[in-house]
Amino acid sequence: MPKLGTSIRIISAVAAAALLAVVVAGTAGARSDATVSGAGSTFVSPLVAQWQQAVGGALGIELQYSPIGSGGGIAAITSRTVDFGASDAPLTSDQFNACNGCEQIPWALGGTSIMYNLPGVKNLLHMDGATLAKIFMGQITKWSDPAIASLNKGVSLPDTAITIAHRSDNSGTTYNLTDYLSSVSPSWKSQLGVGVAVNWPVGVGAKGSSGVAGVVASTPGAIGYADVAFALQNHLKYFAMKNNSGKFTTPGSRGILAAASSDQKPAADNSLSIVNPPKKFANAYPISTFTYVIVPLQTSKAADLKKLLFWAVTHGQTGTYTAKLRFVPLPKSVLVVDEKAISKIHS
Amino acid sequence: MSAADISAEPVRRPFTGRRVRFGDLLLQALAGGAALGATVLVGLIVWKLIDGAHPALSKYGLGFVTRIAWNPVVGHELYGAGSFLFGTVITSFFALLVATPLAIGVALFLSELAPRVVQAPVTALVETLAAVPSVLVGLWGILVLGPALRTHIEPWLHSGLGWIPLFGTPSAAGASVFTAIIVLAIMILPIVSSISRELFLGVPSELKEGALALGTTRWEMVRGVVLPYSRGGIAAALILGLGRAMGEAIAVTQVIGGGVFIHWNLFGTGDTLGSKIAASYQGASTNLQSASLIYLGLILLVLSLAANIVAQWIVRRVSRQHGVTRGGHA
Repeated sequence: MPKLGTSIRIISAVAAAALLAVVVAGTAGARSDATVSGAGSTFVSPLVAQWQQAVGGALGIELQYSPIGSGGGIAAITSRTVDFGASDAPLTSDQFNACNGCEQIPWALGGTSIMYNLPGVKNLLHMDGATLAKIFMGQITKWSDPAIASLNKGVSLPDTAITIAHRSDNSGTTYNLTDYLSSVSPSWKSQLGVGVAVNWPVGVGAKGSSGVAGVVASTPGAIGYADVAFALQNHLKYFAMKNNSGKFTTPGSRGILAAASSDQKPAADNSLSIVNPPKKFANAYPISTFTYVIVPLQTSKAADLKKLLFWAVTHGQTGTYTAKLRFVPLPKSVLVVDEKAISKIHS
Repeated sequence: MSAADISAEPVRRPFTGRRVRFGDLLLQALAGGAALGATVLVGLIVWKLIDGAHPALSKYGLGFVTRIAWNPVVGHELYGAGSFLFGTVITSFFALLVATPLAIGVALFLSELAPRVVQAPVTALVETLAAVPSVLVGLWGILVLGPALRTHIEPWLHSGLGWIPLFGTPSAAGASVFTAIIVLAIMILPIVSSISRELFLGVPSELKEGALALGTTRWEMVRGVVLPYSRGGIAAALILGLGRAMGEAIAVTQVIGGGVFIHWNLFGTGDTLGSKIAASYQGASTNLQSASLIYLGLILLVLSLAANIVAQWIVRRVSRQHGVTRGGHA
């Protein structure tokens, strides 16, 4: 059954992509006050989809969004084929230069789940950073490995081989995961490092969060990573991750919010790092991330874009939109920064 | 060059002594313009590729072509085309190996053996295969072919032929070089088979009937008359297919699984020049990475041009030999 569900989802994603051109052409003809278009992160796409209708009613703005991946979103805003881009990874300096007068604004907060498919094991499995790094480096290849077993006493783990599923495109979710692995494993940091794509030593590449979730769903023994919403959609289990206080936490609102409170001061480029927070944030889920909207400072759509973004970081954060998807409302300290950043946009 | 010549002097050689007619002039201008446009376009593409790849070209030089590395992490950056070049050669070679006998078989069946009632519908169906968009073939590869190969074909090949390094440990997730090979073979099959069919139909029926009249079996007739007669054309069709296989990006990206390494196990994952470009061009994190991706494109272009030149050489050689043998028989 999960196989069928996955196929339907993948097919509908492709159908949606194919229909995009038609929809864009159709809506261009329809009477509408204003259209704001964006593209990028698949991580944030379930939340943006929730916003679309509300924005139409409240602001009279038609919001269009294509979830083509963070890398694609950065490329799209750099070439100005959209009004905004969305990325879970902050821009690199080369990307900032190429984008020519862009700023990034944190506009959503969520967690990356480490999903797994292990038939026959009912328990919610525990995992810690060092072991996860070894798994993603191909040093631990079986579920029955002592390192996994010692984290899950009392659970009988099968001898199944582990298959890693990772993103083949440039992805902010990959950035979030590798950022975490680098902070918990010195050998990951020196051999692989942090990036929207890394030189994966093992595993199977798939496109988009839905692609990774699809591989995990159809491969017994697989481990992959994506925004929690994708794990829930595919009925996949995900690890409870051990944080610095020794607690095992899941990517729910409590854990993510606790992690977010660890960085109250955005850097000059508005980026925030909340991965693997220190011990005093006892409930923190260690693989949490802010995700960013990237906008040009000068744009002919300044008025509509400002209205839209202001709505997104305030009304858009309420439980009606965020709770079901396991996104978490932005903390006040970040809101202050966002308002200042939004007011800089001009025509 | 020739394009420029045509458009430069609108000659009226065929109409010497007559008035130049407006229609002829228009035809000259349009056709010449189209030829010139195509030439300029190829030039522009090459120039743009070299220009875009310049940062990587000047940093890595030719060492890039064989180096096995692809690390896009800022601070660890190092790029090379070695593993992708290997992947491209392996996938297209084996795809051709799988597709050739099938395509020629299909073509022979449709041109020589099939009853008339079957011919038309089957021909139409085979040609429809060529019209299926590659992204759909890739999707079918993910959902149907990959899992089927993983659970049935790969373990079977591994248990029987596992001593050959090509048939190593079966893939776990259904994404593998092998899946990519089969997908590519399916994509080049209709091209090769429809060209071959046309070629076989073009074999003069006197020759075929003559052979049959001498008492040959159908198979002997095919082997002795039809195949030798169309050898050059088949070679050209195969190279066309090879070009398609080498350049295909989307469908391969969907099923090959990725990875920067060289190994001979077809059931492992890998990457090709085209699939790497398709997967990572959008949102490359540094200028050096984009330049290196364009460098991959440049290598792919050179590879395709080389394949084309070899193809033309083969066709010319084979058809010359062919002319000699035919003369000898007569």
